[in-house]
Amino acid sequence: MNRFALLSLYRSLTRHKLYAALNIGGLAIGIAVFIVLGLYVRFETSYDRWIPDHENLYMVQSDFNLPGSPFDGVSYQTPWALLDMLKETDPELVGTNIMPAYGSVIRDGAGTAENIAPADPGFLDFFRLELAAGSRDALKSPRNAVLTEAAAERYFPSGDPIGQTITLSHDEGPTNYTVGAVVRDLPANTQFDFSILIPIVQSTSPTIIAEERNLGALTALTYVRLETAADVQGFLEKMPAFIRQHGDGIGENPDEMLSYVVEPIADFHLGTADSLRQTVATLGIVGLVTLLIALTNYINLATARAGLRAREVAMRKVLGADRSKVMRQFMGEAILTVAIASLGGLILAELGLPFVNATGGLSLDIPYALVVPALVVLAIVAGALAGFYPAMVVSRFQPAAVLASSRSPGGGRGGARVREALVVFQFGLSIAFMIGTAVMMAQTSYIRNADLGFEREGLLVLSTFNDPGLDDAAKGTLMARFREIPQVTSVTAATMAVGGSGSNTGENMELPGVPGPGPSVRKIDIGDKFFETYGIRTVAGRVFSSEFGRDDATETEDEGNFNIVINRNAVPVMGFDSPEDAIGKVVGGDRPRTIVGVVDNVRYTSARAEIGPTFYVYKSELPDFAIATLRFTGDPRPVKEAVRAAWQESAGALPLGMETTDERLETFYEDDERTARLFAIGAGLAVLIGMVGLWGLASFNTARRVKEIGIRKSLGASATDIVKLLVGQFMRPVLIANLIAWPLAYFAMRTWLAGFDDRITLSPLFFIGASLVAIAIAVLTVLGQSLRASRTAPAWALRHD
Amino acid sequence: MIKLENIERRYASDEVETTALVDVNLEVAEGEFLAIMGPSGCGKSTLLNTLGTIDRPTSGHYWFGDQDLAAMGEQALAKFRAAQLGFVFQSFNLIDELTIEENIALGLAYRKDVSGNKAERVAAAMDTVSIAHRARHFPHQLSGGQQQRAAIARAIVGQPRLILADEPTGNLDTANGEQVMDILTALNAGGATIVMVTHSPSHADMAKRRIDMLDGRIVASAMRAI
Ligand SMILES: Nc1ncnc2c1ncn2[C@@H]1O[C@H](COP(=O)(O)OP(=O)(O)OP(=O)(O)O)[C@@H](O)[C@H]1O
Ligand SMILES: [Mg+2]
Repeated sequence: MNRFALLSLYRSLTRHKLYAALNIGGLAIGIAVFIVLGLYVRFETSYDRWIPDHENLYMVQSDFNLPGSPFDGVSYQTPWALLDMLKETDPELVGTNIMPAYGSVIRDGAGTAENIAPADPGFLDFFRLELAAGSRDALKSPRNAVLTEAAAERYFPSGDPIGQTITLSHDEGPTNYTVGAVVRDLPANTQFDFSILIPIVQSTSPTIIAEERNLGALTALTYVRLETAADVQGFLEKMPAFIRQHGDGIGENPDEMLSYVVEPIADFHLGTADSLRQTVATLGIVGLVTLLIALTNYINLATARAGLRAREVAMRKVLGADRSKVMRQFMGEAILTVAIASLGGLILAELGLPFVNATGGLSLDIPYALVVPALVVLAIVAGALAGFYPAMVVSRFQPAAVLASSRSPGGGRGGARVREALVVFQFGLSIAFMIGTAVMMAQTSYIRNADLGFEREGLLVLSTFNDPGLDDAAKGTLMARFREIPQVTSVTAATMAVGGSGSNTGENMELPGVPGPGPSVRKIDIGDKFFETYGIRTVAGRVFSSEFGRDDATETEDEGNFNIVINRNAVPVMGFDSPEDAIGKVVGGDRPRTIVGVVDNVRYTSARAEIGPTFYVYKSELPDFAIATLRFTGDPRPVKEAVRAAWQESAGALPLGMETTDERLETFYEDDERTARLFAIGAGLAVLIGMVGLWGLASFNTARRVKEIGIRKSLGASATDIVKLLVGQFMRPVLIANLIAWPLAYFAMRTWLAGFDDRITLSPLFFIGASLVAIAIAVLTVLGQSLRASRTAPAWALRHD
Repeated sequence: MIKLENIERRYASDEVETTALVDVNLEVAEGEFLAIMGPSGCGKSTLLNTLGTIDRPTSGHYWFGDQDLAAMGEQALAKFRAAQLGFVFQSFNLIDELTIEENIALGLAYRKDVSGNKAERVAAAMDTVSIAHRARHFPHQLSGGQQQRAAIARAIVGQPRLILADEPTGNLDTANGEQVMDILTALNAGGATIVMVTHSPSHADMAKRRIDMLDGRIVASAMRAI
C-alpha cells in the first residue's frame, strides 16, 4: 500500500465513523473472545507438559473388568507396593509413586489443613523437580519432609527452613518431621496438588505387607519411564503374567479381572473427566466460532460498503486503474483493519481477563510473546481472506453498469445471496449458542435444586470425623456432645455422607438360584438414625431399628445372618420385580443377609455420576471410617460454633472440616456452572457481534436503497410498507438460520446432557424460545433504521445518489 | 380537478434559504395536458413534486377535488398516490433488482382496491408502450428509450387520474423522445390528465396548455392555438 492508499483508508475510516466502529469493534470483540478462550484451552491442554521429558513418563492405571460393578473400568490408582513389585520383576525399570494428599500441619496446638502426600524417595528425581534448597535425597530418610516454596513461606516466613522441625498430622497423628528440602513451586497446570512431601512408611508387619501387595488395594499413583514405543509394548506384554503371579488377592483368574494400562502423564489431566474434555472442546469451539462470526461480519460489512464505493471504484477504473490495483487496495485495507482490530482485541482481552478469571475460577494471563506473533499472522491471513471477497466484488464492477445504475451495486444478485448466506451462518450459530446457553443454564440450575433423595436443607457434615488421629472414645464423646446442641435434632455417622466420604466399597452379592458371584453392589455402613437424619424415604418394608437384634451387623458382619436395606436401583439388579418383592428375601450366598427394607435412590455426589445399586449395613456402634452428619434447624452458624467448641474439647489440634449440603455439593456444581458461565459469556458476545453485524448490514442496505424507497413512495408505498420491506428482507435469512441452529444445538446439547445421570429433558421450548429471541433481536436491530428510512421525504430520496 | 392556492416552498439550509416556489396559483382541469417550461432551477421539479405530494409546500393549499392535500397525513397521501397518480421521471427510476415486468407490477403493488387480474393489467400496460418483448429483462439490459417506456407503463398500469412527467424525454434522443410524446398524447386522448415538465418547445407544443416559470413564479400561461 502506498501513501495515498493509507490516506484513503484513514479518511474512509474517519468519514464513516459508525462503519469503522462496527467493523473494528465487532472484530476486536471476536478476537478478544478467541484469545481468552484460546488461552483457556491452551492452559487445560498444557498440563504437565512442562515436566522435562514428559513424553517418556507414563502413569500406570488399573483397568478392572467387572461388568455391572461400580468399580468396573479404569482407576488411575494402584497399590503403592506395585512399584516395588514391578521392580522385582524388572530391576531395570525406572519408576516412582505418590499417594493422594491430605492431612494437616500442627502449630501451637492448632491444625491447618495441608496437602501432605507420601511419596517414593525417587519422586523428585523422576520428575526432575527443581529444588530451591536442601538435598535431593531428602525423602530417603523417614522423618524428613519436603516443602514447596509456598508452604515454606507459610510456615517459615523468616529464615532458612532447612533443618527446622515441622509437626504434621497424616496417617499416624501428629509427628515431627525435619525439613530436608524445599522444592520450587509447581506451575498451576499440573496434576500434582501436594504442598508437602513425606516418605512412604514401610511396614514390617507381614499381614500389612500382604495387604499392601494386594492388587485391589488402590492407594497410590504409580509412574514409570518408558523410552520407546517398544518399551511400552514390552511393559504391557509382561503385565498379564505379572497379574497372574501377584493377583490372588483379587480372586481367581486375576488376569481376566484386571489389566494394567499406561497413559502419558501429559494426557492425564484431560482424561480425568469426560466433562472436562467436553468443556475444553466446547469452549474452544465457541472461541473459534465467535472469531468466525466476527470475520463473517467484516466480510459482510466490507462487501456492503464496497458497494457504496462502487462509483469511486468505477471512476478510478475509468481513469485507468486496473483490477489488480483495486484488489490490492481493498486487501491492504482489510489487513490493516484486522490489525487494528487485533490490537483492540488484545486490549479487550487484557481488560476482560480478570473478569473471566473470576467467573471461571481461572488464573490465566496473556503470554505476549506467543499472542502477538499469532495476531500478526491472523491479521495477515484473516485480513487477506476477509478482504478477498469484497475486493473481488468491487474490482469486478463494470464501470459502465455502475455509473448508469439507479442505485449502488451490491455485487448483483449473487452478492446479495452471499451476504444472505453469511447472515444465515452468523445467525444460525448465534441461535445455536442461545439454545446451548439456555439448556446449560437450565440444567445447572436444575441440578442445584434437584431432588437428591433426601432433605438437603439443614444438614451439617463433619468431613474430618474419620481423622485417624481421633480415637473411638473421642468419637463417642463428640457424638454425644453434638446431640446436646439445642438446634440439632438428629445425629448419625456412616461411611457415606452427602458430598462423598472418600471411601468406596462394594461387594458381590450372590443371589439365590443364580450361579456365579452375583452383581457387585455398593456397600454403605451406617450408624444409628441414618435414614431419619437424612430424611430418606422408605419405599417398601422398614429401615433399621435397635429393636431388631438381627439389624445390627457389628458382631456378625463376617459370617452373615443379619438384615440389610437396599436402594431402589438394587431391586432390578438383584432380580426382584418390585421393592415389595424384595422384602424378606435372603441374598449373599454363604453370608446370608435378609432384605428388610428398600429406600429411595440417594444422590450423594455429582449429578453426572450414576447412582449404583447399593445396600446399607447397620452398625449400632460407630462404623469404621464413618463421617458424622447432623440435622439441625434454623441458622447454621450457631450450630457450627457449637460443633467447633465440642471439637476443640475432644479432638484438640486436629483440623476440623464441616460443611452444609450446599457447601459440600458446591464442588460438583462448580465445574459445570463455570463452563455454563464461560459459554454464556462467549455466546453472548457472539450474539452481540452478530447483532452489530446485522445492524451494520441493515444500515448499508438502507443507505443503498434510499432511492428505491423514494421510487416506491412515489408509487404510493406507505411508511408501513417500507418498514415491512426493509425488515422482511432480513427475516428470511434469520428464519433459515433456525434450520442450521436447531439440529446443531440439538445434537450438541443431547451429547452434553448425556454426561449427566440426572438431567432435564431437551424441551422444544429452548429451541422456539431462542428462535423468537433471535427474531426479536433481528427485528429490533433493523427496525430503527427502517423506521427512519421510511420517513424520508420521497422528493429528497429521489435526488439521492 | 386541481387547484393550487398561494403555494410556497422554501428550502432552509444552514446558511442560505432558497425559495423554490413563490405564491404559486394554478388550476388544472380534468383531461388537461399541461406543459411546464422555464430555465433550470426555476422550480419546475419542485412544483411537479408538490403536485405529486412527494414534496410538501411550506405554505398554501393544494385542493384535489374537495380535499386539501397540503393538510393531509403521510399515510393518507401514500394511499392517494397509489390510487390517483402516475410518475414518469427524467432518469426513469426503475428498480435494478426487479425485471421490467416486476417493475411495472410495482405500480399496482400498493393499491389495496385493484380488482381483476393484475397480470393482465400489467400485460396490457406493456402492450400500450410496446415493451412486452422485454418483460423478463432487467433495467440495465435496456436502452434509455425502452426504460422510459417501461417507466410509463408503470405509471399507467394503475389507471391514474393524473400523470406527472418530469422531463420524460430529457435523457432520450429525438426518435425515442417522439415515441414517448406519442404515448403521452395518446394517454391524454384516452382521458388521463397529464402535467409535464419539459425543456423542449416542440414537446411543449404537443400539450394543450403551457405555463412558463421564472424564479419560482408562474410568469405566463398560454393555451395552444388549435
Ligand atoms: N432539497 C433541496 N434543498 C435545497 N434547495 C433545493 C432542494 N431542492 C431544490 N432546491 C432548489 O430549489 C430550486 C428549484 O429547484 P428545481 O429542482 O425545482 O428546479 P428545476 O426547475 O426543476 O430545474 P432543472 O430544469 O434544472 O431540473 C433550485 O434553486 C434548487 O437549487
Ligand atoms: Mg428539474
